[in-house]
Amino acid sequence: MLEGIFVDGLIFSIMVLGVLISYRILDFADLTCDGSFATGAAVATVAIINGSSLPVALLLAAVGGAVAGAVTATIHNELKVPGLLAGILTMTMLYSINIRILGGKANIPLLRIDTLYTKFPTLFSFVSTSWAQLLGTLIIVLIMKITVDLFFRTDLGISVGAMGSNEQMVVSMGIDPKILKVIGMAFSNALIALSGGLLAQYQGFADANLGQGMVVQGLAAIMIGEFLFDSNRISLITLRVIFGAIIYKALMFFGRYYGYHINLTPSDLKLLTGILVVVSLIIAQTRSAASSADARKKALKRNKQRRAELLKEANDVKH
Amino acid sequence: MLNIEHMSKVFYPGTVNEKTAIEYLNLHVNEGDFVTIVGSNGSGKSTLFNLIGGTYPVTGGNIFLDGKDVTHTAEHKRAFTLGRIFQDPTWGTAAKMSIEDNMITALSKGMKGLKISLNASKRALFKEELKKLSMGLEDRLKDNVGLLSGGQRQALTLLMTVLSRPKMLLLDEHTAALDPRNAQIVMDLTMQFITEYKLTTLMITHNMQHAIDFGNRLIMMDEGEIIVDLSNDQKKTLTVPRLVEMFKSIKQQEYASDEALLTL
Repeated sequence: MLEGIFVDGLIFSIMVLGVLISYRILDFADLTCDGSFATGAAVATVAIINGSSLPVALLLAAVGGAVAGAVTATIHNELKVPGLLAGILTMTMLYSINIRILGGKANIPLLRIDTLYTKFPTLFSFVSTSWAQLLGTLIIVLIMKITVDLFFRTDLGISVGAMGSNEQMVVSMGIDPKILKVIGMAFSNALIALSGGLLAQYQGFADANLGQGMVVQGLAAIMIGEFLFDSNRISLITLRVIFGAIIYKALMFFGRYYGYHINLTPSDLKLLTGILVVVSLIIAQTRSAASSADARKKALKRNKQRRAELLKEANDVKH
Repeated sequence: MLNIEHMSKVFYPGTVNEKTAIEYLNLHVNEGDFVTIVGSNGSGKSTLFNLIGGTYPVTGGNIFLDGKDVTHTAEHKRAFTLGRIFQDPTWGTAAKMSIEDNMITALSKGMKGLKISLNASKRALFKEELKKLSMGLEDRLKDNVGLLSGGQRQALTLLMTVLSRPKMLLLDEHTAALDPRNAQIVMDLTMQFITEYKLTTLMITHNMQHAIDFGNRLIMMDEGEIIVDLSNDQKKTLTVPRLVEMFKSIKQQEYASDEALLTL
């Protein structure tokens, strides 16, 4: 049971890394995510059923997501529409495309077919099935985390981050922000689709509605992570995203598992997620207000001290 | 260095809000010139910079930069020749990133690759450069730029702008948002960099005394036109009241800028 939460959380954390890139690093409110997550699941499932190897299936899923992200960025760049609208457009179109990929059906099962999650136990036969699945997922998540960390330490990655913080600055540095947006959004949605591809294999089916509400869940996980510790180092930011994702999944698990005591049904979980995000925002706001009030107080105190010292000096000179 | 021929800019053409910001403007700036630009609010100074920089397209005319016709060149491509600093200190740096990340982005112009070039030798270089500012920033390479004061941010912006060695500098009231002490520091640094790297410079200022003290040419703009253009020799004997008087005699009206009058 416990391993299940961790596997679930870890698969989810790859998606949250994608949301982190669009929302926090690019400052692009991207809703493509809800569509590209299901695209990843659909592409991976269909690829596996058609006999492609498992790594190739995952890679194809990621490529599908990257294309979706690039489309959103291009709509935003060329038609000058807000990122939010561009994302909704792509997401809506993806719903039809995903059903096409799934061969006209809303979902496809992965029954009696080898997936990563049936392979992991034979690969790591020294531990039990569920621990082997956890270990396999953990390795994939670590590879993704390190990839993200490395990318945002390269010159290109740093300029993508700079664009998210200040677009005028990258323009002044002679870089076309449109290209950076395409790269960033492709990377973000590649991760999201890869996560979808993993989830389909873990739960044994792909569903066209798999991505519903993913953005908000991702934001909730990011915000939970931000409560853990404060940092501007990318390796720690991605680490806290992974922790946040696991904590979020654990919270939702307990909500589902023990919720019935207080009459909670699985359909209430979206409400809970939304409330979680709102509460996180309120706490974050109160905290930042408190810290700036604190800084103000300290500055006033420093000034007062300085004035007292100056007065004392002046008095000393007089005597 | 810069040659502007018959340039004009009309905002919202064909609507009731139609406004001519720049009218048939000609300007030739030689390499190594330092031109100060004054003018009342809405006279078209900032529009002039936005047109040179490529923020928006011209309505008519041509712009030649460093011998090339850049009239229809994208803003980020013109940035290879131009270094622009804005009035708002937050425009030149990325607040959510560390000082070293900001500087590595500014080190060279143009698209970046998948290389990790921020290493010990780059950090040493950045520390060396930051020492020129004498603000203690050399010990804060890993601090986010958002933690710096306005003066520190503008000084850092200036340093980052000259780091990639542009040929020309456009300064748009870049000390106006700072307190007098920091404004003085940033202005001193600006002069130091301009002489060190021999940068051709255009500087918009609301401070008429600055306009007279700095540079080797002074331009006064009004209603999208250049109404006064003074050479270095003419500038030497110039005073602020004399400049205001010039405006009055040309335009038959008072010089409308509270800031200018306050900073007499």
